[in-house]
Amino acid sequence: MARMELSSLAKRYGQVEVLREIDLTIEDGEFVVLVGPSGCGKSTLLRMIAGLEPISGGELRIDGRRVNETAPRDRDIAMVFQSYALYPHMDVARNMGFSLEIRGKPETERRPRVAAAASTLSLEPLLARLPKALSGGQRQRVAMGRAIVRQPRAFLFDEPLSNLDAALRVDMRLEIARLHKRLAATMIYVTHDQVEAMTLADRIVVLNGGDVQQVGSPLDLYDRPANRFVAQFIGSPTMNILPVTLDDRGLPRLANGAAVPLEGLAPEGVAGRIAEIGLRPEHLVPGAAEGALVSGTADLVEHLGSDTNVYVRTEDYGTLVLRVHGHHPVRSGDALHLHARPGAVHAFDRDGLALPRRSR
Amino acid sequence: MSASARRVPGETRARPNFIWRHLIEPYLYISPALVLIALVMVVPLVIGLSYAFQSVVLLRPSAGGWVGLANFAQLWGDARFWRALGNTFWWTFGTLVFQFAFGLGLALLLNTQFAGKRLVQALVFLPWAVPTFLTALTWSWLFNPVIGPLPHWLAALGILSEPFNILGDPALAMWGPITANVWFGIPFFAITLLAALQSIPGELYEAAEIDGATPWQAFVKITLPFLAPMIAITVMLRTIWIANFADLIFVMTGGGPANSTQILSSYIFTTAFRKLDFGYASALAIALLGLLLAYAVVLLALRRRFVRI
Ligand SMILES: Nc1ncnc2c1ncn2[C@@H]1O[C@H](COP(=O)(O)OP(=O)(O)OP(=O)(O)O)[C@@H](O)[C@H]1O
Ligand SMILES: [Mg+2]
Repeated sequence: MARMELSSLAKRYGQVEVLREIDLTIEDGEFVVLVGPSGCGKSTLLRMIAGLEPISGGELRIDGRRVNETAPRDRDIAMVFQSYALYPHMDVARNMGFSLEIRGKPETERRPRVAAAASTLSLEPLLARLPKALSGGQRQRVAMGRAIVRQPRAFLFDEPLSNLDAALRVDMRLEIARLHKRLAATMIYVTHDQVEAMTLADRIVVLNGGDVQQVGSPLDLYDRPANRFVAQFIGSPTMNILPVTLDDRGLPRLANGAAVPLEGLAPEGVAGRIAEIGLRPEHLVPGAAEGALVSGTADLVEHLGSDTNVYVRTEDYGTLVLRVHGHHPVRSGDALHLHARPGAVHAFDRDGLALPRRSR
Repeated sequence: MSASARRVPGETRARPNFIWRHLIEPYLYISPALVLIALVMVVPLVIGLSYAFQSVVLLRPSAGGWVGLANFAQLWGDARFWRALGNTFWWTFGTLVFQFAFGLGLALLLNTQFAGKRLVQALVFLPWAVPTFLTALTWSWLFNPVIGPLPHWLAALGILSEPFNILGDPALAMWGPITANVWFGIPFFAITLLAALQSIPGELYEAAEIDGATPWQAFVKITLPFLAPMIAITVMLRTIWIANFADLIFVMTGGGPANSTQILSSYIFTTAFRKLDFGYASALAIALLGLLLAYAVVLLALRRRFVRI
């Protein structure tokens, strides 16, 4: 079990600064998910924690002990690589038991532990096969098995489910959640998948451009994004951003003159600072022309079955997205008048920082 | 239903005779190549082998003719043959072990990152480009105490009691050509093993490191299994090549002193072109061929048994 403290952790490749000043404490047994756009340094951070990538600055402590210079094999951390990195010349059982073999554990001890892991991951029929005779999903499970056989103090996952089909991905997601519950080990998980991030995480860390943008529980990030980047990164389809202007009384107004409904925001934070508002697609509802925040014509309609995404072309704000639950009979070309659900408006200042919201 | 109705799209329209299609026609297509191979490889081989069962002594042309296994009977009782056979083993495996060990070491070194790597890489391949004859001459000079430094260094290290030419000492002479051959053959192993090393995915080492492997364990459990196919094939090719390779010996010692560096292939050469006894030389060659074939079979069987990738 491990508590990890990252203080001012930095990574440079020559002049290129990939990560700077990462401060983060991961509690023992916590499930932390790293998200961020491609190339923001998620894998690099994971590899630094594993010890595969030298740390250029700052300090990494595991259970209070500085490990910057500790070799990976002495950190007792397991990692599941995105590409699996199975040993092609060893069968599944030996792949899974390799870390025990390395530690000189006898066959009699290795076999039951491999068998237990194999049964958790339904790999028993495959134990004698070589990796080349496995499907992508099976390889993925072997890679997971290799990690859990060891019973390490922490697990690192680098986009472990990205190569699986949708059904298997859901299965494996549940398997990982169950595993975390059972082992209560610290887990750090990199993913591009919003659903994985929202469902698995105790806390999500949003990275961008080498900085931590926000750390918080999934709902925190959804309800109270710290800035525009996080607001637009979390949630799918992405949040609509609408610039506002202040009238002569200092109240924010939209392009058509409608007043911005401010009831979700803390009043003291808004005055004079508000520059843009954010509205999630699921918080917009079509309604009467009277009192609408914005009007436009439906451009593209996506029927997902459970939901309908409507792309609305507006004169003042370009294309906005609206998400309606269930099947909505709107057709391309229809005129739409959009209203916001009460209390759902997010507001940002000129620098993109979120203005405080009322606590629920 | 008529026969034409059962026709499947894309079915061949060639004559549907099984024997013709599968047993005769394919061989007609490859017959030009087969004829060429037969002419270039098989015919000379058969003629050469047939000499072993004849008496072909150019000095006594009248005594020709088939002699059955007489050449092999002579071989069985020939002390020089057994001596040469022993020397062949010594020469081959003495060379092979060092060539392989140094070649592997060099390949491992070249597979890391260091300053001046390109230069070293170029230098490593240099011996390969030096003509054999020049290599042999250079090394025999190096071993000559009058002009070469090696005897003096060896004496200074206490390996030799005094600086003398080991090429003239029956007990040590073989080490001269062996040294030259090691120097000459290291690049072969370094190049081939380096290529094999570079094909090992780096992430396997990362996975092994995470799994807790020490560098030595990673070498034994990942590097070696990956190199094994290449090792098997290069060792086999090299063994056959070295066993047949008498150039260095010929130039450096000429098989002497007192036959102490005579290997089978140099003995064959001497028999054929000095004594002009082609029949006996051919019998010797068949013995060597048989040994090398047996060796190749054993090695390939080992490879199949142990190599899994
Ligand atoms: N050896 C290197 N030299 C210079 N820059 C590098 C090097 N290795 C990685 N980078 C840069 O570091 C940044 C972070 O890479 P990293 O692999 O951590 O991204 P990531 O967040 O995992 O992206 P993805 O989601 O696509 O996997 C990238 O912009 C990459 O170009
Ligand atoms: Mg990555």
